[in-house]
Amino acid sequence: MSNVQDFEEKERERKVRRKVFYLTFATLALIFGGFLLWKLSSLILPIIVGCLLALAFRPVKERFRIRWLPHEIQVLCSFAAIGVVLFFAFNTFRKHIPDEEQKLEFKVRLKYKLNDRYRQLVAKSPEGKSNAVAALLEKELGPLMDKINQVLTLNAEERNLFLKYAAGYSGKPPIQSKFVDYFRANQTTGKYVIPEETPAGTASPTAPAAPTQPPAAEEGTSLESKFSAWILAPLIFLFLGFDNGQIRRFFISLVPNRYFELSLTVLDRLDDAIGRYLRGTLIECFLVGLTLALGLILLGIPPGIAVAIGVVSGLLNAIPFLGAVIALVIGVSYALIAEDVRPLIPGLNPNDLALYVVILVVIAHVLDDVVFQPFVLGGAVNVHPLVVVIAIIAGSLIMGLWGMLFAIPTVVVVKTAVETFFKELKDYRII
Amino acid sequence: MGAPAGQNFLIEPAGQSRFNGLIPMSARKFAADKLLWETLGRWKRSSPELDRIQFLKTVPFFDQLSNRQLKRVSDITFERTYQTDELIFEEGQPGAALFLILDGKIAIEVCRETSTTRLAVLETGAFFGEMALLDDTPRSATARALERTRTLALYRNDLNGLVYRHPRTACRIYRSLATMIGDRLRSTNELVQMKTPADTAGLG
Repeated sequence: MSNVQDFEEKERERKVRRKVFYLTFATLALIFGGFLLWKLSSLILPIIVGCLLALAFRPVKERFRIRWLPHEIQVLCSFAAIGVVLFFAFNTFRKHIPDEEQKLEFKVRLKYKLNDRYRQLVAKSPEGKSNAVAALLEKELGPLMDKINQVLTLNAEERNLFLKYAAGYSGKPPIQSKFVDYFRANQTTGKYVIPEETPAGTASPTAPAAPTQPPAAEEGTSLESKFSAWILAPLIFLFLGFDNGQIRRFFISLVPNRYFELSLTVLDRLDDAIGRYLRGTLIECFLVGLTLALGLILLGIPPGIAVAIGVVSGLLNAIPFLGAVIALVIGVSYALIAEDVRPLIPGLNPNDLALYVVILVVIAHVLDDVVFQPFVLGGAVNVHPLVVVIAIIAGSLIMGLWGMLFAIPTVVVVKTAVETFFKELKDYRII
Repeated sequence: MGAPAGQNFLIEPAGQSRFNGLIPMSARKFAADKLLWETLGRWKRSSPELDRIQFLKTVPFFDQLSNRQLKRVSDITFERTYQTDELIFEEGQPGAALFLILDGKIAIEVCRETSTTRLAVLETGAFFGEMALLDDTPRSATARALERTRTLALYRNDLNGLVYRHPRTACRIYRSLATMIGDRLRSTNELVQMKTPADTAGLG
């Protein structure tokens, strides 16, 4: 009997020791984890992006499995294939990122075209019929146009550079004479609303040029650190691709026996729901981008630029509501400066390109709401519109554009996790 | 039900060399290459993994699988250790996995309002909870460890995943499962017929 009592006593002591050990270990892990999170906060986003991409692309890896090829080689091949696709997409996109000359040309064109259209809009008709409307427009839009002109006016340095490029500079062909004419015409553009205190004239160009130097240097260093942090995303994507269930097995091995089947089920359901949502969103963004790109090509915009606008708008479509607005701004800005547009659809007036772009963006987003979303996402994850709006605002306050982009996926992950966890806890009669 | 004692997985039985007789050079080379890769493959695997494959070989559920296929099954199983009196699963909980007893002893029990009936005691090499491989209907009984027991758990969705990755392996496992369920149904039918011959005769 005494032996049994001794054994029970020892077991009790062991239980106490185990509890103390687990508590100490958990506290230390929490403190250390919190410290790491605080110190390495810049790494969180790349890690999340890498993990989400790996989750989204896993079915591709599973589907294109070649049985006789080792797993690691298959992963490397699929990673290389994705890399090649991304490289070509980025290269196509980069061609349309303007260099210094094109930026100057873009500013000149945009200023000229905007002023031209504004003047057309507020021009008084010979009969004087629309005078009241024109006056109202002039009153409302005048100050805005002045602000836009202030932003788009070239400073002395930029003007010199433009004139150099116009004559042919650093081995580049000279700027078209049409744009040089625009440049000259821009010089004569005055203010639409005469200010009371300061006389109108050319904007003081040298003053803002000086303080731009230090931020440029800061930008360089922050870009470098951002780049080094973002290297993590493809690395995590690659190593999670190599993983053949070992990470899951490790975490499951930590779970107490009582919750073993429960944790397997919860993990699986979460994995399935989040993966489906991510893939659905990616496909939806792709379809919206494709619709916009095809529409812009039909409207006569060069295919390269149409695809570039489609890619950006498609990616930004992941942000509900705001994505459509940004797509609209990008599309209309290009439509305003577009030259020699020949729409592929007969009967369209190239002068009304901006209006057609607005209609196209509206059509793309109606299609998205009515066809793509129900078809691709299938209402798998229903989030109330109010929650969507609050999440986007909260995301933007916390992490800016990235926060907005990741607000909805985060809400979906948390919602699915909480729902699944509580349902399974009840099914397994734990609560 | 246990693993055959003394069987060495790495060593080929004596007198069964692949190079006996008049075998063409190309076939010999092929056989030598195959042997080399097989040996390297075995050497790569860790010893617990080898033990697990050895064990799986002895389970009737997997008797139609080759070594390579057994390795695939071994890769998706989870090893769990239960202490005496610890519950493996409870009656009424949704089923998610099949359990194989690596070593130890477990009891299958059904709890009623006032009493607990022990249906069976299972030992090394036996398996239980196989219906969970088909769907998540509630467990029909409780499984309790009678001593310190090591088990291998095979999760339903991992087996479903095997259908896409290695369809032949999954197909053989499902065939074993179907055969086993068919046998049970047949024996249950026989039992019902034996117990109620008058009723069944009356129905006709």
